[in-house]
Amino acid sequence: MAVTIVKERWSSRCLEGVFGTGAKQVKAGGESTLPFLHFEGEIPNPPVVGLEVFDAPPQEWPAFLTRVYDGVLEDPAAWAKKCVEYGADMVTLRLTRIHPDMGDVSPEEAAKVAVAVAGAVDVPLIVLGCGVEEKDAAVLPEVASALKGKNCLLGLATQENYKSIVAGCIANGHGVVASSPLDINLAKQLNILITEMNLESDRIVMDPSIGALGYGIEYAYSIIERMRTGALMGDKMLAMPVVLLVGPEAWKTKEAKSPDTAEWGEQEKRAIIWEVTTATTLIHAGGHIAMVRHPEALNHIKGHIGKMMQPQQY
Amino acid sequence: MSKKLVSFFPDNLRVEIDTGQTILQAAAKAGIALRGACGGKKVCGRCRVQVRKGKTAFTGAEKILPEEAEKGWVLACQAVPEDAVEVFIPETSRLTEHRVLLDERRPGLLAAVSGEGAAELYPLFRRTAVKLPAPTLTDNTDDYGRLVWALKHEQGIDNVMITRQVLAGLPGTLRDADWSVVVELASLGPASEIQGVKPAAAKDAAVYGLAVDIGTTTVAVELVDLENGAVSGSAGTYNRQAVFGDDVISRIVYGTETPGGLEELQQAVVETVNGLIAELLHTACLNPTDVRSVVCAGNTTMIHLFLGIDPTYIRLEPYVPAVNLPPPVRAAEVGLKVCPEAWVYCLPGVASYVGGDITAGVKVNGMAEADPLTLFMDIGTNGEMVLGNREWMMACACSAGPAFEGSGIACGMRAVVGAIEAVRVLPGGFEVVYRTVGDGKPIGICGSGLIDALSSLYQAGVIDRGGKFVQGLDTPRFTEGEEGPEFVVAWTNETGHGRNIVLTQADIDNLMRAKAAVFAGIRTLLTTVDLEVEAVERVFIAGGFGRFINIRDAVAIGMLPDVPLERYTYIGNSSLKGARLALLSREVWAGTADIARRITYMELSVGNRFMEEFVSALFLPHTDMNLFHSLQGRNSAAT
Repeated sequence: MAVTIVKERWSSRCLEGVFGTGAKQVKAGGESTLPFLHFEGEIPNPPVVGLEVFDAPPQEWPAFLTRVYDGVLEDPAAWAKKCVEYGADMVTLRLTRIHPDMGDVSPEEAAKVAVAVAGAVDVPLIVLGCGVEEKDAAVLPEVASALKGKNCLLGLATQENYKSIVAGCIANGHGVVASSPLDINLAKQLNILITEMNLESDRIVMDPSIGALGYGIEYAYSIIERMRTGALMGDKMLAMPVVLLVGPEAWKTKEAKSPDTAEWGEQEKRAIIWEVTTATTLIHAGGHIAMVRHPEALNHIKGHIGKMMQPQQY
Repeated sequence: MSKKLVSFFPDNLRVEIDTGQTILQAAAKAGIALRGACGGKKVCGRCRVQVRKGKTAFTGAEKILPEEAEKGWVLACQAVPEDAVEVFIPETSRLTEHRVLLDERRPGLLAAVSGEGAAELYPLFRRTAVKLPAPTLTDNTDDYGRLVWALKHEQGIDNVMITRQVLAGLPGTLRDADWSVVVELASLGPASEIQGVKPAAAKDAAVYGLAVDIGTTTVAVELVDLENGAVSGSAGTYNRQAVFGDDVISRIVYGTETPGGLEELQQAVVETVNGLIAELLHTACLNPTDVRSVVCAGNTTMIHLFLGIDPTYIRLEPYVPAVNLPPPVRAAEVGLKVCPEAWVYCLPGVASYVGGDITAGVKVNGMAEADPLTLFMDIGTNGEMVLGNREWMMACACSAGPAFEGSGIACGMRAVVGAIEAVRVLPGGFEVVYRTVGDGKPIGICGSGLIDALSSLYQAGVIDRGGKFVQGLDTPRFTEGEEGPEFVVAWTNETGHGRNIVLTQADIDNLMRAKAAVFAGIRTLLTTVDLEVEAVERVFIAGGFGRFINIRDAVAIGMLPDVPLERYTYIGNSSLKGARLALLSREVWAGTADIARRITYMELSVGNRFMEEFVSALFLPHTDMNLFHSLQGRNSAAT
């Protein structure tokens, strides 16, 4: 029996962001339909998956995770290279040492680390601060200036500290990661504030704040889904690509942290599944860029995306 | 219990209070209204007084500097006299003479409003002349039965009752008057109570009624001639309950958690009304007994407190009032100084936070009888709104907070003399022009000034869309105060109290929340019935505050919906007007009960739609610019 495929007509499409320079430049977004509905609209770019690099060896990672980065944990540049070898489309550098309680290193010092990492890899770079809004506002403009022309993404810009970060991005040709606490209106407000500083809207990537599987993922799912439908219905202030900062959420779950037990099985396998499931779920909600920690998770996610990017046989 | 004597200066008033009572309570007893926005929680620091003689126990030191404490300064709400004390009250701690907003009486205003004139003059208290056939041996019906028969046959009035007192003197009155009498009747639902039987000649004496609007902040009274419906006088003042807190919640808390608090609150409001009655009667050369009927309108809490009914559960989930349609009570029972047997009618409310003042407003603006989709808002300490027309009506109440009444704002004040009521900030924030109520030197900013300020601070680039101060502005008006950055509206040398008048970041955050709550309420009502803002054909704004709203600015900050300005109508104090119409028309009175029953109340705390709308409204003017088409040219790019 013939089935008539119902197609939604959308009036608009997501913005396409272009990050990095040269051959390994990455494009994200630009769809004119919901995730992977190839029969309905265009999906010019597959979702992007990347790995995280820290400016200091992480303290709370399980051994099986640090093991895959053996020998490079002390050297962010080498670590980043390793990530690219593992197949990362992008690399996120987390500047943890600028945190007032974790070393409080100066903006100049942080910028040096960022330059070293940027020099080591040819994939696009995301540089994230420590989460202390004032400190990030002081450090990221310095980083922006040191990475001038590299077309990176800097964040997280919040409603409290976006001004100096965005100014740094404008002056040095970068994009910004605009972060909001699981609220579509707040996300939109921040995008409006940033575009009113005259940063082009295709240089903004939204971090809607996410939760891992079992830790409020449904809230993130619904916010991201609403962002996507908002974009498709013509809301320009919700049309920016969405970044999923999966790593910190997935790896702090009980499921990722609990050791091997008979009922729960092997920890390593379980942790990777948790990271993969969180990322793919939110990619299906409408996320464009997923940042994870385990290279095996990266491979699984990319494999899944590869299958989902096959056109449907209707 | 022993008593303490408290003397107040410069008033030169003395009162005795019980041991343990505060200076604030003493002042209330002396009839002195002190500023007390926080309801005696020692947080607002506005009820400062100086103890010049005698000792007090005082525990609220945070708001008083040590050198001030040495000179005897205390917070009246915390200071408990330990022996006889003499207290000096500075002007700044008093509620000054208040400009109460009575009805506007603009020509043309009533054109949009049915009701007045439309309803037949048939007061809740009225007199009617009847002539009874004298009894004979063959017609030996009793006197009362004869009166009842005459009322029915001559006037068509049945279902009457009579007070024992009137009945007692009835035989003599009827015979003295030669069976031709004037009967005084009070409406009680479908029934009428005979309140007096007088010789026909007594018809010339005056009969008056009172329309009373009991607001959380202010109380207004009109003296109305019940024979012809004319308003003989009006007066207004602060609600003396203000010393127990600015909003209904803090008053309920005071009433339920302070021993004797409920009685104090009841007394405070009754004394407020009695003061106004005395003033009106004096001016009109009338006696209290000439006032035969009283109609009160007020929010649900105010009516509970006025009648002395336990308001506890208004504040607690699921927010149920004791009564929405209170029965009439005798004036003597609530302590009003009018004819003791006069009935006091309170207009029916809809729910805990949509009271008889709103029902009155709906009756006055005529929306319940008209076709156009109408939005009616009463913006005061709470923002109540009703949406609908003759076919359906929905109401909600959003706690906008008292910011627009000047409370919770560092330099906020009510719309009294010296309040900045209009402000313009020129681009860059270098120049500020303002106008004050009474054109005197400014001492604070009232609600309309705050709306103006928010709007023009944004347009001048001093704050961003999120309501945050823009950093690095090169203007001396932008300074760092004790509580973070602040913007100077008026310099020390311009003001009436020798201090800068400023707006702090916290003030602006407060205003943003207040305006967002109002708009979120409107949007929630509209989306619940699946209507767009454009569908609203008329908007009526009521409340003392409404008179001063600059609609253009209120739309610019996203507090009021962006519909053509000509759809807006100010209707002033519709609560008072509604009370007067009910006083004069049994039909209107019955109509208000009908309206109260027809309005569907929507509880905003159920579900998350209101919160969602609230957050999207926490932006200038709104996260969704499509709701504010008329502003899109004025403000920049975002769509």
